[in-house]
Amino acid sequence: MSDKFFYYLSHLINGLPITISLSLAGILSACIISIGLSILLISKRWYIIHPIRIFITVFTGTPLLVQLFLIYYGPAQFQVTRESSSLLWQVFYYYNPTQCYILREFLHYLWQLLSYPWFCAYLALTLNSAAYTTLIFHGALKAVPQGHWQACSALGMNRTQSLKVILPYALKRALSSYSNEVIFVVKGTALTSTITLMDVMGYNQFLNGQYYDFTIFIATGCIYILINGLLSIIMRLLEKKALAFENNQ
Amino acid sequence: MQDWHTLLPLLNATKITLLIAICALFAGLILSFIITILESWRFKPVSWFVSICVITIRALPEMLIVIAIYNGLPLMLIFINDTLFNGGMDLTIPLYFTELSLHLEVTDYNVNPILCGIIALSILYAVYASQTLRGALKAIPAGQKQAAQVLGLSKSRTFIRIIIPQMWRYALPGLGNQWLVLLKDTALVSLIAVNDIMLQTRSIIANTREPFTWYLIAATVYLIISLLSQRVLQYFETRSLYFEQPQTVSEK
Repeated sequence: MSDKFFYYLSHLINGLPITISLSLAGILSACIISIGLSILLISKRWYIIHPIRIFITVFTGTPLLVQLFLIYYGPAQFQVTRESSSLLWQVFYYYNPTQCYILREFLHYLWQLLSYPWFCAYLALTLNSAAYTTLIFHGALKAVPQGHWQACSALGMNRTQSLKVILPYALKRALSSYSNEVIFVVKGTALTSTITLMDVMGYNQFLNGQYYDFTIFIATGCIYILINGLLSIIMRLLEKKALAFENNQ
Repeated sequence: MQDWHTLLPLLNATKITLLIAICALFAGLILSFIITILESWRFKPVSWFVSICVITIRALPEMLIVIAIYNGLPLMLIFINDTLFNGGMDLTIPLYFTELSLHLEVTDYNVNPILCGIIALSILYAVYASQTLRGALKAIPAGQKQAAQVLGLSKSRTFIRIIIPQMWRYALPGLGNQWLVLLKDTALVSLIAVNDIMLQTRSIIANTREPFTWYLIAATVYLIISLLSQRVLQYFETRSLYFEQPQTVSEK
């Protein structure tokens, strides 16, 4: 039992690079995007708020699996991205050769990017996580008492300057709910094995097809528990450090 | 879109998805009550064990749990048959003047994927909902329990008639959010060969070769279901806060 366990573990570890790279890249870019979106959400203009609201509703209202499949399998439907010799392109080229060339190169590059499963998984995870994280960060920004804004304006700060003061405070407050979201991203990377990526879950499926043994699932579970446990410890330390100014009182 | 009639199988698949989600919701609610009660048990080893189980399941990917249960149940049946029953167990129960003989043997190792999906999703729901319920349990003032004790109600009666109806108000927002998560997790049962929205969409795409359109339609179906359930949840939340409204009005 135990040497079988370590045998499976030695195979499963091969999937660790993809799982870790995907989750780190997804978490970081989702964090940056959602900070930007939550700043945009403060402004009360409808043409900024409505598109972001729709983005959040769509990406939090549908399963990650659907988004993943839509991004990975979806573009193959459109001839334009696949073939550069279609009639549409020829007509376009006749009228405007230089722009056509640039656009074609761009679409060709995009098509190549979207044919990498890693990039598709990254895109889906980032967009999905960005939507959830924006909800968390925007909630934290709204929860900042109005007095802080008033204090900033009393000191003669304009909106951007006062945001520079208030945003770090709000983000620090949001850390505890954000750590849950981080773990959700790591758990979401398991789904990427459905689009042919060989992450830990992909190796788990591969081994399960070969040996059909429950020990494989236990070994996979151990790896995920280790990753998530480490992440939650790191997040807790971060939270402690970030909120140190509150604990001192 | 000439092939609109392919929407009909999608409708049937939606029914299966909803069936799984609702069954998992009720099973999960019952399970989460059990987890909550076990976690607040006086006998500490039990509560520690349950807490460790809950933390472990929360750290595992949902997909792993769904697939592990689907693969693990037949293995468990084989284990029961081979090890516990020694390949078919004969059991004789002596009654007063006659004997009842039983032959126990597991002959069918195939498990129903829908049942596996419901089991996995209800465990997932229960693990997260139990946290909400625990919070709700703590939110109720101890005076309620003491008042019930003074009135001479038994412990179980206090819990069922006094505590649970009040927990509902605190737990509803969290449980509602968890229901939305559960709804999205039902997409995972397509990986264990349940003919839900995702798998049906896949087979439609194999025919029509229009992946973008059909995945978009599947996403829309999920979106409609979750938006509708958000509306229903909002209605229930405003109803559950009905008794708190006069207070907020008088404060203003």
